[in-house]
Amino acid sequence: MSIAEQNRRLVWKSATAGLTPTLPDNIGRIYIPDRLLGWIIPVSVLLSWELLARLGRVPSNWMPAPTVVGKTIYQLAVAGDLLKHAGTTIARVAVGFLLGASAGTLLGGLTGYLPAARKLLDPSLQALRSVPSIAWVPLFLLWLGIQETSKIALISVGAFFPVYLNLSVAMHHVDPKLLEVGRLYRLSSFQMVRRLILPAALPEYIVGLRSGLGLAWMFVVAAELLGASSGIGYLMVDGEMTGRAAVILASVILFAVFGKATDWMMNAVGRRLLGHRAR
Amino acid sequence: MVNHGFEHRGTVNIEIVHKAFSGSKGTLLALKDILLTINPGEFVCIVGGSGCGKTTLLRIIAGLETEYEGSVFLDGKRLIGTGLDRGVVFQEHRLLAWLTVHDNVGFGLADLPPEERSRDIRHYISLVGLHQFEYAYPHQLSGGMSQRVAIARALVGHPEVLLLDEPFASLDALTRMRMQQEILRIWEVERTTVVLVTHDIEEAVYLADRVVIMSRQPGTIRNILPVRLSRPRDRADREFVRVRKSIHDELFAPVGAPLVADNA
Repeated sequence: MSIAEQNRRLVWKSATAGLTPTLPDNIGRIYIPDRLLGWIIPVSVLLSWELLARLGRVPSNWMPAPTVVGKTIYQLAVAGDLLKHAGTTIARVAVGFLLGASAGTLLGGLTGYLPAARKLLDPSLQALRSVPSIAWVPLFLLWLGIQETSKIALISVGAFFPVYLNLSVAMHHVDPKLLEVGRLYRLSSFQMVRRLILPAALPEYIVGLRSGLGLAWMFVVAAELLGASSGIGYLMVDGEMTGRAAVILASVILFAVFGKATDWMMNAVGRRLLGHRAR
Repeated sequence: MVNHGFEHRGTVNIEIVHKAFSGSKGTLLALKDILLTINPGEFVCIVGGSGCGKTTLLRIIAGLETEYEGSVFLDGKRLIGTGLDRGVVFQEHRLLAWLTVHDNVGFGLADLPPEERSRDIRHYISLVGLHQFEYAYPHQLSGGMSQRVAIARALVGHPEVLLLDEPFASLDALTRMRMQQEILRIWEVERTTVVLVTHDIEEAVYLADRVVIMSRQPGTIRNILPVRLSRPRDRADREFVRVRKSIHDELFAPVGAPLVADNA
């Protein structure tokens, strides 16, 4: 956050201040720091939800109170189910993301650097990209069975495209003026890639990794909803089958927390790598 | 003139017969019949309007343009492609955003022992007056400072010729005048041959031993004027103004038959 942003304070002028001009300007204004502004809506929604649920104004089997959802998560944790299911899901995301991102890095690097590879591969990959990835599910199930392999394949496909696309385009679009600097110093092709092209493409590559990770989380939900005997997605299906809305909501929250946490980690790694650059 | 033992180094012989760019709209003749000899340690400015091929000429000397008819020699050796014997500064600083000033300056420095390498880099960072910014990143520098780093990067490999392509054109007027003084100071220390391309007549008269005036379509040398004024030069001096006006008149004179370059 820039200093300007930090210093900026949103000023709320209450209706009364407008109606009573005799009051000094600073009375009737509430100063709310920017970083707290985003909390207003979620906190009020949670509070009203809790209130309505406790007053019995929303059916508790449809919309259990936030505290009930919290209790459900706690119970899952105590019973050891949380560790088991979350562990399974995180392992699937990790393996799928690593495979997809590695393939994306390899092919993205190849097509980004070699025009011939780009001409050869990019049209086909772009065509594959236009297939909505969930549409692969039946085929993956048929080919790879209902076990882990098909799930990991689906997650990999999700993670692959953003990584591939961002790296390929970024390498392809490195400023030719910088490449001329490399030519002046007679860099070899390998040095050109290592010392100019890769560092120049790094910011976009990290963006690609982040969106790839986001899609990996999206696809793990799809994979687990479509047939799994463990994982947070399975918990959701189980909650639906047994009519326990609290379990479904708990799973939604778990997905959100884990997704956000891994994105935060990826972002932290990215910021470390790029920390010195101008934003 | 004392040349630090490099008496015969930095002579540039340019013999370009023909340089054309072919595009979708046909062929554009960029340069034609360029004959020019630049002496060791000489400061030559090339002036001309946009499209006269002055930048193309500099890029040919740098080795960045390789498709042309003719040859360029450095100390009698025909130049093919780029090389560390020529340092280049572009209009944009072209620094690498992910490297510190120190590493940017050392970017092209070939395999030297680390200590020697570091010492050379520090020497040139100090020479351009940026010793306090050795570990700053390019985004923390002003335009003038960035261009100083680019000059240090061009000089650190001890080139025989320093090639500058409108290096101060994107700087504000005051910074530009300060940088003009700076490049003279650096040249007086280094005594490399300098070729500077500019469209700023005053800049050329302020800096150059000789001013090469180019005309456009096709880009040819219209005239070469020596500037016999002692440095530091006074921009308001009568002789300075007279030289500036004669270059101005030369550039804006009606285009007739191309004048033959008097290269003597």
